[in-house]
Amino acid sequence: MAAATGSAAVKTAKSCKKYRSVKRHANIYTYQEPPHSNSDEDISEEKAESHDPEQVFQNIQYQKEIMSNIRCQPWPMRQKLRALRQAKEIVLKYEGRLTRTRGYQAAGAELWRKFIRLAYNFVVLFIPWEMRIKKIESHFGSGVASYFIFLRWLFGINIVLTIMTGAFVVLPELLAGAPFGTTDRKTIPEDQVKSAQDLDTIWSLGGYLQYSVLFYGYYGHDRKIGKAGYRLPLAYFLVGMAVFAYSFIILLKKMAKNSRMSLASASDENYTFCWRLFCAWDYLIGNPEAAESKAAAIVNSIREAILEEQEKKKSKNLAVTISLRIIANILVLLSLAGSIYIIYFVVDRSQKLERTKKELTLWEKNEVSVVVSLITMIAPSAFELVAALEMYHPRTTLRFQLARVLVLYLGNLYSLIIALLDKVDSMSVTDSDVNYNASNFATLSTSKTPSKEDNLSTTVPNVHFKRNGIVTLEESRTQGMTVSDSLVNRTVSLSSNTQNPQDQCWETYVGQEMLKLSIIDMIFTVASILLIDFFRGLCVRYLSDCWCWDLESKFPEYGEFKIAENVLHLVYNQGMIWMGAFFSPCLPAFNVLKLIGLMYLRSWAVLTCNVPHQQVFRASRSNNFYLAMLLFMLFLCMLPTIFAIARYKPSLSCGPFSGQEKIYDIVSETIKSDFPTWFNTVITYISSPVVVLPALLLLFMLIYYLQSIARSLKYTNNQLRMKIQTVSTGKSTFTCSLVGPQTWEASLVIQITSDLAQNSESTRIQNLDGNDKRPEKEADISQESSARSSTPRKNGSVLNFESPVIKGTRIQTISQSVPQTVPSTDVARPINATPTTSTSLTPACSSSSIQKPRNDLITNRYPSVVHRSASDLSKTKSYAPVNFKKHTEDAHSEPLFRKGIRQVNPDASGAGAPVFVACRPYTTRYFLVNENETRKKSLRSTSRLQRHFRKGEPEGIIELYPRNIRRYVVRTPHQMYSPHPSEDEEDEEELGREFMNRSHRPRSLSDLRPAPRFYIGEHGDGHILMSKDLARVHYKSWDDGFELDLDRPPYAYKKVHLNYLEPRVKPKSKQKLEQSLTESDSISIESSSDPQNSGNDQYIQVIHNKEKYPKPGTKLNKKKSKNSVDLNMSEPNELVCSNV
Amino acid sequence: MGNKQTVFTQEQLDAYQDCTFFTRKEILRLFYRYRDLAPQLVPLDYTHKPDVTLPYELIGSMPELKDNPFRQRIAEVFSEGGDGNMTLDDFLDMFSVLSEMAPRDLKAYYAFKIYDFNNDDYICKSDLEKTVNKLTRNELTPEEVSLVCEKVIYEADVDNDGKLSLEDFQHMIIRAPDFL
Repeated sequence: MAAATGSAAVKTAKSCKKYRSVKRHANIYTYQEPPHSNSDEDISEEKAESHDPEQVFQNIQYQKEIMSNIRCQPWPMRQKLRALRQAKEIVLKYEGRLTRTRGYQAAGAELWRKFIRLAYNFVVLFIPWEMRIKKIESHFGSGVASYFIFLRWLFGINIVLTIMTGAFVVLPELLAGAPFGTTDRKTIPEDQVKSAQDLDTIWSLGGYLQYSVLFYGYYGHDRKIGKAGYRLPLAYFLVGMAVFAYSFIILLKKMAKNSRMSLASASDENYTFCWRLFCAWDYLIGNPEAAESKAAAIVNSIREAILEEQEKKKSKNLAVTISLRIIANILVLLSLAGSIYIIYFVVDRSQKLERTKKELTLWEKNEVSVVVSLITMIAPSAFELVAALEMYHPRTTLRFQLARVLVLYLGNLYSLIIALLDKVDSMSVTDSDVNYNASNFATLSTSKTPSKEDNLSTTVPNVHFKRNGIVTLEESRTQGMTVSDSLVNRTVSLSSNTQNPQDQCWETYVGQEMLKLSIIDMIFTVASILLIDFFRGLCVRYLSDCWCWDLESKFPEYGEFKIAENVLHLVYNQGMIWMGAFFSPCLPAFNVLKLIGLMYLRSWAVLTCNVPHQQVFRASRSNNFYLAMLLFMLFLCMLPTIFAIARYKPSLSCGPFSGQEKIYDIVSETIKSDFPTWFNTVITYISSPVVVLPALLLLFMLIYYLQSIARSLKYTNNQLRMKIQTVSTGKSTFTCSLVGPQTWEASLVIQITSDLAQNSESTRIQNLDGNDKRPEKEADISQESSARSSTPRKNGSVLNFESPVIKGTRIQTISQSVPQTVPSTDVARPINATPTTSTSLTPACSSSSIQKPRNDLITNRYPSVVHRSASDLSKTKSYAPVNFKKHTEDAHSEPLFRKGIRQVNPDASGAGAPVFVACRPYTTRYFLVNENETRKKSLRSTSRLQRHFRKGEPEGIIELYPRNIRRYVVRTPHQMYSPHPSEDEEDEEELGREFMNRSHRPRSLSDLRPAPRFYIGEHGDGHILMSKDLARVHYKSWDDGFELDLDRPPYAYKKVHLNYLEPRVKPKSKQKLEQSLTESDSISIESSSDPQNSGNDQYIQVIHNKEKYPKPGTKLNKKKSKNSVDLNMSEPNELVCSNV
Repeated sequence: MGNKQTVFTQEQLDAYQDCTFFTRKEILRLFYRYRDLAPQLVPLDYTHKPDVTLPYELIGSMPELKDNPFRQRIAEVFSEGGDGNMTLDDFLDMFSVLSEMAPRDLKAYYAFKIYDFNNDDYICKSDLEKTVNKLTRNELTPEEVSLVCEKVIYEADVDNDGKLSLEDFQHMIIRAPDFL
C-alpha cells in the first residue's frame, strides 16, 4: 500500500511538474520523487518539442526553477546533484537557441546570481559573533542563544542609530560648528576650570564632558554652520525624531516577519503532548551536561502533562493556594510601590541635598542611579521568591515573573523621568517662577558664595538680553536682575557648585542623568556577573570539597542563566537609550560599546560558570515575545521625551534650539523661511483641520476595515481548520474503502488534502487575495455541518473563486488545466462537447481550447462575475479585484498547459485522465452560473434547512467515532442534486446541437441514478415515495454501521452499506458503468457544476475521479467501481436519515 | 580567494551551494569537520568524487550528535543506504537540513522520517514509544509511556487511523511554536 502510494505520488508529482507548478514550499514535501527518471524524460521530451522557442523558454524557466528550489527538496544529495546538473545542462543547451536578447538576458541573470552569491558569501563573514553564538547554542540550546541573538540584533539597531546621530549631528558639529571655547556656551566657566578635570567631576559627567558633543547643551544654535550652510538645529531635531521612527519601523518589520513565519496562530489547537514529545529535544544541544538536564526537563514536563491530564478536575486545597497567591500579589504590589517611592524619594533628596549642601560626596552624586540599578537588580530575585509562594505552573510563573519585572523596570524608568522632569520644571525659567524664585532668594541668600557677585556681573547682561529677545520687552531691569539673581542662586544649589546660567540647560541635565544611569547600570551588570556568577561558580567548584554539604547540588549551586530576566534587562537598557537619545546624541554610541562589552562578558560568563536554565523557556525564531516587549518599551520611552519636547521651552542659553518657544518650531520656521512660498501654503493647507480631520477619519476607517478583514479571516480560518479535519477523515475513508487500483486516486486525494492542509494554514498577508478566496470556499463545506447565517454570501463568493482556489493551492494537475478549458466552454460549447464524447481526452480538446484567445477568457469570465455579484447581494466588493488577478494568472499558465497535455499523452492514459476529468467539471460549472440563478436560490434555502439538521449531529458526535464520515457523506448529495437541474437546462438550451446531445444524454442518464434520491434528501418530504422507503431501509443500515464504527476503522462502516445497497444499486450502476467507460468524467462534471456547492466541488471532483478513473483505465474491476458507486448511493440515504 | 583550496572544484562548490543552505566557507568548514572524523580515510582532494563512506560510529561521535537521543535515527535517515554510514554528500545534506536556514516544511519532513523508526511511512505506536523512551532515557514507567503515546495519537491523528501519517505530523508540527 505504501509502495503504491509512493509510485502514485511519483506520477502525480511528475504530472505536476509538467505543469510547472512546483511551488517553492508547501507542496513539495509530500512527493517523493526520484528526479533522475523525471529529468531524463524531460530531456527527451524537450528534444521532441524543442522547435518552438516558447516551449524551450518555458522549459528553461522550469529548469531554472528546479535549480533554485533544489535545496528545498527532500532528496538525497546525490539525486539533488544529478538533477541540478541535468537542469543546468538543459539550460545551457537550449538557451543558445533562443533569441539573442534572451541569451544575453540569461547570461546577465547568471552573472548577477553569481555576484549575489559572492556578495552573500562575503557578507556572511561579517556577521559579528556568529561563531560565539553558535558555540553557546551548541552548549546550552537555542534558548540561551536567543538572548545573544537578540543582543546582536539590538547591537545592529544601535549601530544604525549611532550612524544616524553621528553622521548628521555630531560630525557636522565637530567639523563645522564653532570650536570648543569660542562661544560662551562652549566654554567651561572659569570657576570650574580648576575642577573640570577632576575625576569625580568627570565621573558625574560634568566639566569637560558636560561641555562636549556628548550633550545637547554643547550644540550651537546658529541656523546654518559651515560653508555649505548645514542646518544643524533642524538636523538635530529631525535626527531625534528619526531615531524613534527608525526604531519603530525596524521593530514592526521584524515582528511582521516573525509572525508571518510562525503559523502558530492556531494556539487554540491542542497538541500538548505532541509538542512536548516531538519538539522536546533541542537539536542544538551538544554538551553532555546540558543534554542531561534537558532529558530531565523533558521527563518532568511529560510527567507534568500526565498529571495535569489526570487531575484536571482535582483541585488541591484551593483556599490555601488562593490566599497564598493573594498574599504574593500583595507583596509584589508593595515592592513595586516601594521601589517607585524609593526612587522618587531619592531624586527628591538629591535635589534637596544639592540645594543645601555645597560639597557632595561621591555617594550623594550618584545616589539616584545607584539606587535605581540596585532595585533593578534585587527586585527580580525578590519576585522570584514571591512567585514560589504562588505555586503556579512553571510556565505561568515565568510569565508572571516577566510581567512583574517589566512593570518594575517601567516603573523605575518612569518615576525617574518624572522626578527629573519635576526638576526640569523648577529649573526652566518661566514667568510663574518669579514668585518661587523670590522666596527661594530669601531662603537661599544666606548660602550665597562670594564668587556670586562677580559672576552676576557677567551673566546679567547676557540673561537680560535673552529675555528681552524672547519674553517681553517691558520687563524691567530690576526684574531681570532678580530673575538672574535667583537663577544663580538656584544653580548654586542645584548643580553642585556651578554658578553659571549655562547650567540652566535642563536638556543637558536630563541627558547627563540618563547617561549616568546607563553607566551605573553597566557597572552593576558587570559586578553582578562577576559576583553572582563567576565568584559563586568559583566558590562552588573549589570549596565544595571542604564544605559540610554538597555545594554544587544544594544551596548555592551554580548560577543559572536566566534568559527572561536578562532579555528584560536588555529591553530596559534599550529603553534608557531611547529615552535619553534626544538629549545626549552620543548615547547610542555609548550603548554600542556597552553592548559589545556585554556580549563578550556574558558569553564568557555563560560558558564558564553557568548551567542551563531548568525551566522551559525556549525562544523559537518566530517568537515575537522579546520584540513585543521591546516595542512596548519603545513606545513608553518615547512618551516622556516627546512630552518634554512638546511641553517645555528649550533652555535659553544652550543647545541648538535656544531662543525658540518650542523645540519643534524649528521645522515650521525652516519651512517658512527657506522653502518657496507655494510650499509654505501647501503645508498650511495640509496641516489645517480641513485636511487633517478627514485624513484622521480615513485612517480610522482603514484600521476598522483591516480589522474586520482580519476578523473574518480568523473566522474563515477556524472553519478551514474544521474542514481540514473533515477532509482528512474523508480521505482515510477512501483510502481504506477503495482497494487495489484505486489507491492511485486515494493517494491523489491524500496529496490534495495535504496540500490543502498546508496551504490553508498559511495566512500570510501577501497571500491575502488567495487566502481570501480559499477560506471562503472551504468554509462552504464546513458550513454543511454547522449552519451559519453567512451561507448565502459564502456561496456567492465561492462560485467566483473556484478557479483561483484550485489553481493557487492544491491539486496541481487539476489546477493548471482548469483555467484553460474554461474559456472554451464559455465561449463555445461545441468545443467542449467534443472532448466529452471521446473516451480519454485527446490533445484535440486541449488544443482547441487553447485556440481561444485570452481575451475571451477574460471577457467571458468577468461578466459572470458581475452577474453573480448582482444577483448575490451579499457579495462584497473586495472580491472583484481578486478575480481580475486570477484571470491574469490563468493567462500565464496557458502555454504550460499546452505543454502539459503533450507530455501527458505518451503517458498511460491513467495519468491524463484525471487531469481532464478535473478540467471539465470546471467548465460546466462555469456556464451554469448564469443560467441557474433562480434554481440555486431555492436550493440554497433547502440546503440550509438541511444544515440545521446536521448541525447538532455531527458536531456532537464527531469526537466519538470516525468523525467526518458523516459530514462528508452529507456533502455529496448537495452537489449531486443540482447537477440534475442544470443538466436539464443545459439540454433544453442546447437541443439544436447534435453533438451536444450526444454527449449529454448519457450523462443525464447516468445522472438519473442519484438524482431522485437527492431531491428527496433535500426536501425532506420526498416527492418520490420509493426513495423514501429506500431511505428508511438504509437508515437501519446506517445505524448498524454507526455502532460498528465505534471500534472499527471506517471502512467497516462502508462495507455495511455496501451489503445493504448492492441489490438496489446494481442495475443502475451497471448501466452507468457501461457508459462511464466513455463518460467516466461526465458525472463528476455535473456534480461539480453545482454553483452553490462549488466549495465542495473540488473535493467531490476528486472523489469522482477516484471512482471513475479506474473505469476507463481498468475495465476489469467493475466490482470495485461498483463499490464506489455504492458508496455514493449510501450517502444520500444517510442524508435522509438525518432529516428523519 | 579561489586558489586557497583545492578540495573541490569551483563547479562542485557551486553545485553544493545550490543544493544546500550553506555558503562556500561553511561547506569547506563542514568538509574539514567531516575529514577530521577520519583523517586517514578521507582524502583532501574531492575533485574526483572519491567514494568514501564513514561508518556510523564515527558520525555518531560528533559533538553535535553525541548527546542527541536520536543520533542513530538521524544518521540513518540522512545516509543514502539507510544504515547510518555517510558519504560527504549525505553529511552535507544532513547539516543543510538541520541548519537554521532550512524551511520548516523540509525540517518537518525529515523530522517525520526521524521519528518513524520502522520506516513504514507512519508514526505508529511503537515508534512513539521508542521516541518517548529515547527522550526520557527510560525514566518513565511503561504505563506512562503508553499513556503519552495514546495522547499523542489522539491529538494529532486527524484521520483516525491510529497512526500518524506525514500529513498529520506536518499539520501538527508546523504549528508548534518551538519547532525549529
